[in-house]
Amino acid sequence: MFGWRNERDRNREFEEVALVHLDALYRSALRLTHNRAEAEDVVQETCLRAFRNFHRFNPGTNCRAWLFTIMRNAFLNRIRHSGREVALEDDGALRAALPESLAESTLARENPEEQFFQTVLHGDVDRALKSLPLVFKEAVILADLEGLTYKEMGEVLGCPIGTVMSRLSRGRELLRRVLSRFAREHGYIKDSQ
Amino acid sequence: MNCQEFEGHLHPYVDGELGVDAAFAAHVHTVDCPGCRSLAERERRFRQLLRRQPRESAPPEFRARILALCRREGRRSLIRPWLAAPALAVAAALVVALALPGLLRTEPLVTDLVDKHITFSQIEGPAEFLSADREDVKQWFLRRAGLRVTVPDYSRNGIRLVGARLAEAGERRAAYVLYEKGHVLMSVFMVSGSGRGAGLPGKPTSYRGSEYLLQERKGYRTVSWAEGQAVFSLVSMLDYEELLECADKLRAERASQIKL
Repeated sequence: MFGWRNERDRNREFEEVALVHLDALYRSALRLTHNRAEAEDVVQETCLRAFRNFHRFNPGTNCRAWLFTIMRNAFLNRIRHSGREVALEDDGALRAALPESLAESTLARENPEEQFFQTVLHGDVDRALKSLPLVFKEAVILADLEGLTYKEMGEVLGCPIGTVMSRLSRGRELLRRVLSRFAREHGYIKDSQ
Repeated sequence: MNCQEFEGHLHPYVDGELGVDAAFAAHVHTVDCPGCRSLAERERRFRQLLRRQPRESAPPEFRARILALCRREGRRSLIRPWLAAPALAVAAALVVALALPGLLRTEPLVTDLVDKHITFSQIEGPAEFLSADREDVKQWFLRRAGLRVTVPDYSRNGIRLVGARLAEAGERRAAYVLYEKGHVLMSVFMVSGSGRGAGLPGKPTSYRGSEYLLQERKGYRTVSWAEGQAVFSLVSMLDYEELLECADKLRAERASQIKL
C-alpha cells in the first residue's frame, strides 16, 4: 500500500517506481510505431494513464509489466481510432507474413551456421521488425529487446504462456528469415546458402 | 528427452524458462545430440544479436515534459483519502446500478454514479455478493431486491464477472454488477423509470445503429443512453470504443430478453 502523505510523496513514488521504465517504454513505442512523434504521444498517454491509476497499482507487483500493458492498450486504441487494421490473431497474421505456408519452424535446422549473424548492419533489426505482423513483433520486442519473462509477457499481451511461447518462436523465425534476406541483399551470403 | 521433445522445449530452454527437471533433461539431451546442441547454440546467438541492439533512451526534453505533465496532473487531481486506499485485487469493475423510480435529475445522477463507482472500486470488497456465474448474480438480485437485472457476458472481451452489490445512489437504491478487466476499471449504470433520458449530458454519438451520449468526468469516460423509461450509463478508464461495445451487448441482451 502506498500511504502517500501528500502530492509530493505520490509524485516521487511514481517517478521512482514507474518512470524508471521510461526509456524502455520509449524505445518499444518507437519500434511499434516507427514514428518518433507517434511514439512520444503513445508514451505520454501511457504515463498519464499510469499516473492517474497509480493508486491502483499494487506495490510489490510488476510495474514494468503494468506499464507495458497500459502502453499496448494505448497503442492499439490509436490504431483502431485511425482506422488502420491490425491482425491480432496469430494464424491470420502468420498467413499474411508467410503465404508459402511455412508456418512451423521447419527451417529451424536449416543453415545452422547463420553466417548472416556476422553481417547484420546497424538498423537492420529494426528494419526487419517493421515487416513483422504486430503479434509477432510485439512478442520479440518484449522478450528479446526488453527482456520480459514469459509470465510478464502473458500479462502484457493478455494471453496464456503457451500462446506467448508460440508467438515468440514464430516471431523469431520470421525475423531470422527477414534478416537473412537482408544479408542476401547486402551480398554477404549467396542464394545457394 | 528425444529430439522432437527437445525442439518443443527449445525456446523456453534457451530463455531459461523451463523448470529444473525439464531444463536438466534438455541439457542432458544436448550433451548427447550435436544437432540439437547446435540448434540451441544458434538460438542463443540470435538472442545475443538482438540484445546487442542499441538501447535508445528517451530524449531529455521528452523526459522533462513527461515529468512536468505528471506533476501538473498530480496538482490537478487533489488526492482524496480514498486515493491512498489499498490497491484493489479486483483490477477492473463493471458496475450495473439500477436505481428505483423516483425524483431524478439526470446530470447529478451520472456524477453521483461516477463517484460511487470510484469509491467502490477502492474498497477491499467492492462486491457484496461474489460470483462469476451470471445466473447466480441474476438470482441474487431477484431474491435480494426483487430486481430483474441484465448481467451481460463480456468474457469474449476479456472482461470477467466478479459479483454484485446493492447500494444507494443519491437517494435511490442501486444494484451493481462488478466485472474485471486487466488493470482498467469499467462501470455501467442503469436507472429505471426516470423518463428523463432526453436530459442526459454528453456528446451524441451513433454506434451500430444506436444512439449514445459520451462524456468525460474526473478522468473517467461515460457512455449513457435512454431506453424507454430507463437510463443506462457506463463509466470507465477504458476507451469509448470498448465501452460502446459493452453497451451494445447489454442492449442486445436486453432486447432478446424482451422478445422472450
